[in-house]
Amino acid sequence: MINIENYHRPSSISEAVQLLQQGEATIVAGGTDLTPQIEAGARQFESTLINIQRVEEMRGISVTSGRYRIGGLTTVTDILESTTLAADIPVLVEAADHFASPQIRNAATLAGNLCNASPAGDMCIPLLLLDAQVELVSWIDESVSTRRLALCDFFIGPGKTVLQKNELLTAVEFKQPVAGFSASFQKSGPRPALEISTVAMGFAGVLEAGVLRGVRIAIGAVAPTPLRATATELVLEGRSLNESAIAQAVEAVQEEVKPIDDVRASAWYRTHLSGVYIRRALALFQGVTAHAA
Amino acid sequence: MSSIKMGKAIQTSPVFEKKTIIGQRVTKPDAPDKASGRTVYINDMVLPRMLFGKILHCDRVHAKIISIDTSAAKALAGVHAVLTGYDIPELKFGPTRDNRTLKAGKVRCIRDEVAAVAAESEQIAAEAIGLIKVEYEDLPPVFSPTEALKQGAPVVHEDHPDNRSLSYEFSHGDVAAAEVNSDIVIEHEFEVPYVTHCCMGPGCVIADFETNGKLTMYSQTQYPYNYKMDLAPAVGIHPGDIRVIQPPVGGAFGSKLDVYPFEPICALLSKAVGRPVKLTFSREEEFINSPTRQPAEFKIRSGVNKDGTLTFRSVDCLMNNGAYTSWGPTTPVIQMRTFTGHFRVPVVEYKGLAAYTNSVYAGSFRGYGNVQATFVTASVMDMLAEAVGMDPIAFRLKNAQKPGEVTPQGSKLDDCKLRECIEIAAEKTDFLKKYKLYAQDRVNAGRIKHGIGIATSIHNAGGAKIHKSDGCGSILKLDDYARATLITGASEIGQGIDAVLSQIVMEELGIPMSDITIVNNDTALGPWDVGVHASRTTFVTGNSALRAAKAARKQILRAAARQSNVSAEQMDLREGHVVQADNGVSIIKLDKLLRQMHFAEEPELVMVSEYYEPDSELEDKNHVGNLSATWAHGAYVAEVEVDTETGEVKVVKMTAVQDVGRVINRLGIEGQMEGGISVSLGYALSEQLQIKDGKVLNPNFRDYKVPTAPETPEIELHFVESDCKASPLGCKGIAELPAIIPAPAIANAVYNAIGVRFFAPPLTPEKVARALHDQVPDNTQ
Repeated sequence: MINIENYHRPSSISEAVQLLQQGEATIVAGGTDLTPQIEAGARQFESTLINIQRVEEMRGISVTSGRYRIGGLTTVTDILESTTLAADIPVLVEAADHFASPQIRNAATLAGNLCNASPAGDMCIPLLLLDAQVELVSWIDESVSTRRLALCDFFIGPGKTVLQKNELLTAVEFKQPVAGFSASFQKSGPRPALEISTVAMGFAGVLEAGVLRGVRIAIGAVAPTPLRATATELVLEGRSLNESAIAQAVEAVQEEVKPIDDVRASAWYRTHLSGVYIRRALALFQGVTAHAA
Repeated sequence: MSSIKMGKAIQTSPVFEKKTIIGQRVTKPDAPDKASGRTVYINDMVLPRMLFGKILHCDRVHAKIISIDTSAAKALAGVHAVLTGYDIPELKFGPTRDNRTLKAGKVRCIRDEVAAVAAESEQIAAEAIGLIKVEYEDLPPVFSPTEALKQGAPVVHEDHPDNRSLSYEFSHGDVAAAEVNSDIVIEHEFEVPYVTHCCMGPGCVIADFETNGKLTMYSQTQYPYNYKMDLAPAVGIHPGDIRVIQPPVGGAFGSKLDVYPFEPICALLSKAVGRPVKLTFSREEEFINSPTRQPAEFKIRSGVNKDGTLTFRSVDCLMNNGAYTSWGPTTPVIQMRTFTGHFRVPVVEYKGLAAYTNSVYAGSFRGYGNVQATFVTASVMDMLAEAVGMDPIAFRLKNAQKPGEVTPQGSKLDDCKLRECIEIAAEKTDFLKKYKLYAQDRVNAGRIKHGIGIATSIHNAGGAKIHKSDGCGSILKLDDYARATLITGASEIGQGIDAVLSQIVMEELGIPMSDITIVNNDTALGPWDVGVHASRTTFVTGNSALRAAKAARKQILRAAARQSNVSAEQMDLREGHVVQADNGVSIIKLDKLLRQMHFAEEPELVMVSEYYEPDSELEDKNHVGNLSATWAHGAYVAEVEVDTETGEVKVVKMTAVQDVGRVINRLGIEGQMEGGISVSLGYALSEQLQIKDGKVLNPNFRDYKVPTAPETPEIELHFVESDCKASPLGCKGIAELPAIIPAPAIANAVYNAIGVRFFAPPLTPEKVARALHDQVPDNTQ
């Protein structure tokens, strides 16, 4: 049953978090996850609905002295069409391109995708590669209060984050990757459109004097949260890319993922695909870096 | 149009060339409104004073109903009626009368309807449903048909203590002897899944019980005339007191070929409140409660001699009946024809049995049992070919029937085009060259493996006589302006019959399509028809319309001949004129002639009615008889790429060759074939309603994967046109074969690519990857 008693359309972050502070509120932006969850009875509206679509300061992509900032209300289409990101951070654009369908991309926001905290959330993967931080804002002691948190510490379980009830995810920030940074995004599924990942994998790193540095591996749909595969990263860090390193990485990643059996795939298949994808990611990386060199 | 001078007169008469609309590409008349959003579908309809119905489905799979408390629901403001199975008489319905509307006593599957509400809004109805309290006592359930048939299994229906539902047996010749005399005998088991129709318009009905006791149903049904007969016992009224109106629907594909409980429940709600009531399924309800394709397990033994001659085929089919019987367990009637009659098999045997379980139940679905049969036979044909060392084409040609042969069940293959279909399919795809190349390449390293595969089948293409009549009536009238109205029994459920019937009228009467109106959505107006099924609509209702159009034409030309020195035989109707057939010169404008006929001293309206009954036979009790007036074959070739690491199968190209008799609407037939291929692509690779312990695990489009545009392959179509003698129009029914044949062609192509045979569709990436992984030790990855 829809039992919304109050509806607000704040036009600033300050206004939004003051409303949030009053409690019992549901935030809606694109609504592409919220609406089906409500429809399915998996979630209920709180008594207050706050539509944050008019908070313009939460929208847009900017770069300030080597630091990228993407507003929480930026849509997946905005990311897909950003020439800045296409030039500087193509892996983000690639993930956006794999995201749902054009209609959903037009409405779905970055903050929504992160706060939904699906282990299969597509946008989480490239942002984990970029060591992104989330900006969480609340209203404390009659003023706006901001805290920043590494994205990898933001997720705590399927659909669960450390976001407090009075907090709003206003933006995502990350530093410009170091020179030579190369990243890839892969996603599986029996059909390309509107696919929930069986496994999604992001890989990033730099090739320095023939050895791998700054290895980042992020995997979707293989654990309760989008996973940073730190053990596998360590296996590869400082290694030259030979068959033995690749084989060890495959073994490590298959050890590190903790998938479940569900209606989409078995744990066995997700583990298998993780191995396939790390091998492909490394081949891609090798191809790109060889080309660059 | 041109003109020539007539005698001394200055006035000239226009001249019209003979043109034909048959075989042309014609836009469906309903397409512009559908494309622009103007169409009012049944789901959009609102009637004055209409209330909204909702059903409480049980959350158990097998349980006694101890009590139902509806008091809180009844007390809710805006609720007009709450019904349970204890408020209404026990009215049985369904093909075997084993179902009832609202359940009482016990529930047998997750779909069971326990209570229903009529309220001012959908929201209030939903809230009221949430207030109904039902107390159950669980009973031990049974889900597998094999388990259900064992001694001591839980009993689903007390009047069927052995859980046996429908059964079928057919045999021809001595299987044991044939087996002894066969050089090679193979036996395999197949299992086919639950899949569902995925109509874009979810289940919806509006029932309006009038004060005079008559019932009007606004229904999605695709068989309106028999629907009245099937609905009546569920509501407890006379079939003659039911009027069925068919607003535009968002798809049916066989799913609306039966009465499902929500329809009579809606009628009972309307009766209770004295107002129209609309009941609509949510997408989730649609996935859970609408019928599926019949799942089944097959055991098939087949024999062949070293020279490649088929010797026998023996099939055991075990079907999960689910809790009640809809059309699913009757599909062996069609399925059997393929097992016993596809290719020349001298000795055949078929046994089919459906067992009651606490699972959901299946209905009819485009292909009607032949989808399952063709997956099995087309796979086995490839295995037999390999066993005798022949290629798939030569082996099939060796065993293909010739025109005039009759199958053991009596299907008369008078104009059999099976050989042509196979030969064209092989030639157009360069089949043998690719087949050998890909098979050799299997042993080489490489992530992507290519494969090519063929499958063929046979299907009824001249209706299917499963009722005493398989006919259709047509009433055709022309008004004073030469506008024609065809009132037909044919139902339009999106398949495009309105365009086809307009073409037929246009061809005979020489009037433009835009001057033809098709009326076919009201049983109070339309004459009898058996409905949209069995690929029969163009064949049966088209030939009925042709009769009516010919009768009207005859009447018009007779009248024209009376006032002209040209005989009726020397006249033709072209572009709104009566013309001389030899030179096309106009004799009189058609509308002028019609007015002259109408306002004559002995007035005459052009208004004819005709009935067409195809030349087919009911089966006898041994399942023998020429069930369809004609039969058609098809041969489809799939070309695939298999990713041997992820197991993903990509269909690159589908080449379809089909005997269609004669193309009527080229655009329509292309649409039907492409759509059918998409249905079969899903069956082959991705679609499966996952049911565990009687519950549906993926009742949504996120996890039930219908093919989308990007994975649709390139499609190449070839029509074999034979001008079918059994059909006055020359056409054959075409709509089901495209949904039947592609899946096993894909499975055969996957075998060609990777050497793995799959016995249970869909070939999901995981299934393919697992099979490849189990073949190869892990360390060789």
